[in-house]
Amino acid sequence: MKVKQSLKHELIKLLKKTRAWLGPILVFILIMVAYPLTVELTNQSLADAFFPVLFISCLMVMMLATEGIFLEDYEDGSLEHLLITGGSIYQSVFIKILVHWCFIGVPVSIFGALFNIGVGNTVNSSILLLPSLLVSTYIFLILFCFGNSLSLTKGSVLGTLITMPLLLPMLVILGKLTTAIMFNINYFGFLILLFGILSIIMFIFPAIISKIIKTHLE
Amino acid sequence: MQNSLLIKADNLSYKINESKLFSGISFALNNNEALHIIGSNGSGKSTLIRILGGISEPSKGNIIKKEDLTISYLGHKNALKSYLSVRDNLDLLDLMDNKQIDNLLAEFDLTNKLDVTLGNLSFGQQKKIALLRIFINEADLILLDEPFVGLDIEMCEILSDHLNKKVEEGSGLIFTSHIASGIRANNFNLD
Repeated sequence: MKVKQSLKHELIKLLKKTRAWLGPILVFILIMVAYPLTVELTNQSLADAFFPVLFISCLMVMMLATEGIFLEDYEDGSLEHLLITGGSIYQSVFIKILVHWCFIGVPVSIFGALFNIGVGNTVNSSILLLPSLLVSTYIFLILFCFGNSLSLTKGSVLGTLITMPLLLPMLVILGKLTTAIMFNINYFGFLILLFGILSIIMFIFPAIISKIIKTHLE
Repeated sequence: MQNSLLIKADNLSYKINESKLFSGISFALNNNEALHIIGSNGSGKSTLIRILGGISEPSKGNIIKKEDLTISYLGHKNALKSYLSVRDNLDLLDLMDNKQIDNLLAEFDLTNKLDVTLGNLSFGQQKKIALLRIFINEADLILLDEPFVGLDIEMCEILSDHLNKKVEEGSGLIFTSHIASGIRANNFNLD
């Protein structure tokens, strides 16, 4: 199957399944709106404590977005059909993750940067925050997809547990990045590190995931 | 068209937990030929189809395939999306732009169902949609696992006619079925 066809297929599937992409975005907005309303802090503390809340919210929303991401195609026989008819599962996985990121990761990152201004942080910090949010949401998506593929027929809890150790280093880097944005030191170093991680895993993990899916199909 | 080898199974065996499902399976299929795999429940018909399709590996034996063999496949599952309309499903299968699609939809009595959500159609109607890809796609080999399940007698006859035509046009066909079909095929018994 050509890349264009594969992209069209994933777009049709996700567009018509509104709850799959709108649900996580609405959950994210709900957390962002609830944060200043429910946390009793002074304005400055609210702004300072926002970054960790934002990154953890992104993590949770990406977990929500990937729940059952491969299960539907597995259960209705689409993956089996793709494999027998000579299609590429690697390509399908890569495009599925990319489309999910475009529909969920990108809006969440943009909303995240806007809410950052809303809680009292500077526009400049939001400009710095946006690329790190875009990259980290993609990384979260890939890692959760990996967990989901491992626990394809066993439910998402097992997948999340498997993914957690991989996510912790990411959260540590994002914590350091937060400090870098706040104090305006070495921000680009951390951003390049995030891009480096993404550029490796965005090509390697779909290959690993496709191997895992093939094993499930056997 | 000159007969050429599409697929050859050579002494295939398959074990599940050290229990033999089948062994010593050998056959060859050329184009313009059809093979009807018969056998009792649990004899390994579906497993054999999956092995021929390249999903499962045999415990022993080899499969030789024609270079660049193209396969059209329909298994137990239809590989359709129940939350999409028939039109969207056909779009996913890249069939909406095909010239034959209107005639086939009329023949299968599905023309007025294009905007209906697939999940609201009967099992047989969903199967008809899934079969459209077999009739339209040009493939060297057609692999079908129980294609007659869920179809009424009239549709079974239509399916047999279409598959006979496909074989006459040059495709090879391997299918499993419990019922005697109208497809002109050699029988291969797994029992």
